[in-house]
Amino acid sequence: MIDGDGGPGDSEDLETRDTPAEVDAAFRTLRRVAVGYFLVFLGVVAAFPLLSFTLDWWSEARVLGDLSPGFLTAAIGLYAVFAVIGMAAASLSSAVEARMLGGPRDPEAGP
Amino acid sequence: MSGASIVTLLAVLLVVVGISLLTRPRHSSTVDFYLAGQRVGVATNSWAICGDYLSAASFLGVAAAVYVSGLDGAWYAVGFAAGFIPVLLLVAAPLRRFGEFSLADFLGRRLGSEPVRLATVGVIQLIILAYLVPQSVGGGITWELLVGQGLLGLSPYATGVLISTAVVAAVVALGGMRGTTWNQAVQFLLLLMALIWLAAMVASDGFRYGGAVAELSREPLMNPAYTPEGWVLVPEVNQIDAGQPATFGEPGSRYGRLGQVALVVTLAMGTAGLPHVMNRYFTAPTGKAARTTTVWVLALAGLFYALAVMLGAAARALIPGAVREHPWLEPLTVDGVLKIPEHALPVLGRIYGGEAGLGLVAAAALIAAMSTVAGLLLASAATWGHDVYERHLNPRATQRQAVLAGRVTTLVAAALAAGLALVLHPNAFTPALPSLVATMVTWAFAIAGSALTPVLVLAIWWRRTTAAGALAGLTTGTVLAVAMFTAGSLLPPSAGQELLATPTLVTAPLATLVIVLVSLRTRPPADVDSAWVLMHGTAADRRAERLAELTVGARPALPWRALPWRGRTDRQRTGEPTHEGLGDRRGRGLRGDLP
Repeated sequence: MIDGDGGPGDSEDLETRDTPAEVDAAFRTLRRVAVGYFLVFLGVVAAFPLLSFTLDWWSEARVLGDLSPGFLTAAIGLYAVFAVIGMAAASLSSAVEARMLGGPRDPEAGP
Repeated sequence: MSGASIVTLLAVLLVVVGISLLTRPRHSSTVDFYLAGQRVGVATNSWAICGDYLSAASFLGVAAAVYVSGLDGAWYAVGFAAGFIPVLLLVAAPLRRFGEFSLADFLGRRLGSEPVRLATVGVIQLIILAYLVPQSVGGGITWELLVGQGLLGLSPYATGVLISTAVVAAVVALGGMRGTTWNQAVQFLLLLMALIWLAAMVASDGFRYGGAVAELSREPLMNPAYTPEGWVLVPEVNQIDAGQPATFGEPGSRYGRLGQVALVVTLAMGTAGLPHVMNRYFTAPTGKAARTTTVWVLALAGLFYALAVMLGAAARALIPGAVREHPWLEPLTVDGVLKIPEHALPVLGRIYGGEAGLGLVAAAALIAAMSTVAGLLLASAATWGHDVYERHLNPRATQRQAVLAGRVTTLVAAALAAGLALVLHPNAFTPALPSLVATMVTWAFAIAGSALTPVLVLAIWWRRTTAAGALAGLTTGTVLAVAMFTAGSLLPPSAGQELLATPTLVTAPLATLVIVLVSLRTRPPADVDSAWVLMHGTAADRRAERLAELTVGARPALPWRALPWRGRTDRQRTGEPTHEGLGDRRGRGLRGDLP
């Protein structure tokens, strides 16, 4: 059962059930969010070898704590970036769901 | 065996058994045994997932890989940590919202196909075996180092394998998911504390990360190799520029350009298909909690791996200078370099903490292996006990019989893993495979990322996925992955060999292509809309949060608060559609557990 039957007490059901149309709209938005952040993730991971092979500075310079940018990235930086990507994606996905699903609905409008 | 070692071992066993007894399931229900009543909060679940995921491969293996290969060893850490990004973006919340017992259960129900369920069970068992054996090996190595003595005429290694596996098997069979969850959570915190203690000790001794890496990188990277003349140090070949020596701080000591990317992709894509990790998501109270849990895991795993990489570098820098002061290092090293890289962290522990320090680090290694073994055994039990026994062998099984089947399969899987670990003593591998434990785990990631992840992601995000497509994808991914990494382990190092050894870069796209092509030519399941509402809707989450508010005194629902029910699946609680009426059978004889 997806929707209420229109009987008494159905206002609660309307708040706690999703229609296929609502879910489909939210799904498409969430898919865009997931694909977008996944591309960012791929870009970050792919950037490392590209920088290693194209920029001498990446391996030879000394930055924080006398570590090279390349070593610093592999030893610490990438984990921080992953955590930031995760937090941003989770926040946005949850916000999308809160906005698109479960909001007050006009019972007269039907499913 | 020193007094410190005995105390350490007893403490570990006491913690593990004590937690299992305190948290053992109070009802003989499969929801309780396999899913801990689906009420594990965010913090506990994130610690438990870390305990489950951060295995001997992560604790011993990552530091060992950095120790032996420098920057190239850090790719293991990057790949392991990166794995939770695809989980977060593509799998965690929808998987939890669909709410089943195992990955095989999820795919079988989503695609309405028992052949898919059974094929998934087969792939899962292959992954579990490939993952379980190196954990048992890790247990054997640790006992060898910590205790150094065998029992009942067995070698120290064999004793370690048998005892660690037997203890975990008993704990899982007794405690189910509830006991395992708390064990894994506590074990992860102990593991993290061991790393933090070790990092604090080396830092207080004057270890400077950047300076040490720069110093190590001035000389060519050399590692012990056994030759007819005995052990000697041999320079590593630079896999990127053969004309230049390989160094600690630059890429190339182990992987070429393609190899780096192939390894990271294999590890990152494999995580989403690891049955023991993904099963933990079914224990979360809501889909949103599953997502939030993954964010916590990303942060905690990042901290763990950053410390492991640092300690691998510290071991490389500090052990040569410690040999003169610590004569016990001489038989373990060749000119100050460890013969077995997995000894890096235990040796650091002994240098800075004496026998107690060795005991602490070795206990952490044992814990890392045990907590992962627990998750793997439980995942094995869920697939055999629920997907095979309950669904096919005895569909009319009572809850008690189903739980008993799970317990028996736990013991059988443990016996098989211990037997294989006894055959694969690490000394036979070390010269050829510098970090055995991490390498063997890579095979499990390759199968998971090649076969399960593509099917899982498409089943969640593409309506047209069909059972035939999933079967074709599972078969293609598994066969290609096994064939490629088997070929890769037989060939000499080259760009092609690296791609074969870590094949997901090739196999996952091919499996995806096969799934899409076959799915487009076959008919999708009839009830895709219902599945979509379950996976991508939030109705069950909202009802769960509302129920929590009502029953916990109208306080706002916090994502980390355990929700007040047990013994029923979500759909029974919320009235969502159940498939095939199985939900009713699951809940038979159970009751809510309101406070």
